[in-house]
Amino acid sequence: MTCTEFEQVLPDITGGDREFEQEQHLRSCSACRSLVSDLKAISQQARSLQACEEPSPRVWNSIEIALRQEGLIRQPSRGEPAKVHSFPSRWRSAWLLPVAAILLVTAGIVQYKHAANQNVVQVAPAAASRTQLASLPTEETMADQQLLQSVAQRAPAMRDVYEANLRDVNSYIRDAQESVKNNPNDEEAQQSLAYAYEQRAMVYEMAVDRSLE
Amino acid sequence: MPHQTECGRKGDLTDARKLKSDKLSEADAIERAKLGDPLAFEALYDLHKRRVYSLCLRMTANTAAAEDLTQEAFLQLFRKIGTFRGESAFSTWLHRMAVNVVLMQLRKKNLPVVPIDESLETEEDAPKKELGGLDLNLAGSIDRLQLRRVIEALPPGYRTIFVLHDVEGYEHNEIADMVGCSIGNSKSQLHKARMKLRELLKTSRAEKAAKP
Repeated sequence: MTCTEFEQVLPDITGGDREFEQEQHLRSCSACRSLVSDLKAISQQARSLQACEEPSPRVWNSIEIALRQEGLIRQPSRGEPAKVHSFPSRWRSAWLLPVAAILLVTAGIVQYKHAANQNVVQVAPAAASRTQLASLPTEETMADQQLLQSVAQRAPAMRDVYEANLRDVNSYIRDAQESVKNNPNDEEAQQSLAYAYEQRAMVYEMAVDRSLE
Repeated sequence: MPHQTECGRKGDLTDARKLKSDKLSEADAIERAKLGDPLAFEALYDLHKRRVYSLCLRMTANTAAAEDLTQEAFLQLFRKIGTFRGESAFSTWLHRMAVNVVLMQLRKKNLPVVPIDESLETEEDAPKKELGGLDLNLAGSIDRLQLRRVIEALPPGYRTIFVLHDVEGYEHNEIADMVGCSIGNSKSQLHKARMKLRELLKTSRAEKAAKP
């Protein structure tokens, strides 16, 4: 058997089950023996590459936001109240207070007002009437910019991720606002808007929480 | 990027860690994820993210693309988690999903998943014919970083088969089924990929030796 002939059958015999003639050639040819040894070393070392890298935190952030937007996350996190977002104790540093204030103003107190039966269900930040919602985008934009600045100072690599997340969630809020505007008596539309604000509050919480790490 | 394995909330840290520590807990996490528990989703993600991301990275040789595909694979998994009945291992199910996501992406971009027709291979891509003349003696001297680099330099078709077989451990019949080629083609492409890697490692070693 020649080296050429041996190399031609090599793809089928790398598992080790060789015919007598092939074994004979391998025993007598150091070059082919070296080739087989090299290919085996490459294959073995390749297995060590399995699961050796880690994605950046933005991957989980994006997954989590998508899961919440799709309603696949249905329970509050353990230790987290259903609607009001509590802040971990380490947030009590002075510089965090403005960020916490922005969070409260933006997420707001979620109140529901139903015009027909006078239930108090008003979907807006505290003290803002439905007609004043038009002014919120400017306030929201300022709050977003301040949040992004804080994130950029603490964790610059995450700024773009949260900017993209805020863009998505603000778009969701605008759609929900439009829906409420067109169907003021629709409870589902109002709930969607409340949910959209919750999503926004979640982005804020995640942005501050993770940029601290 | 710093290694992050737990969610940031202090109270949730212990729970997420606890979910990760015990093999049996994966089953619990799956059941809780079906009910929409966010901690369960995160625990499952933390358990499997490295394997999925590494697979995507090896097959695309691009960090941003690998992260997007990792995200997509997990989202598809979580959307379908309600249908998981436990007939196969969860990791197998997830891994297959990740491979399909990557292969679909490669097809979308018209990148060759595997060269079906050998005549379509360029001369540059094909490994050089070496009649066993050079004694490279690579055994015991290939380091992971070096190997990672040369895998990235492989043509996409060779890379796919090599990653699926030698890195991820799929058999040729499974690869043939996934990528839509014959078992013979899969074996042939794997051999060529290894030969090409050998050649690239040789070049890399020669360049290193030439440096003062």
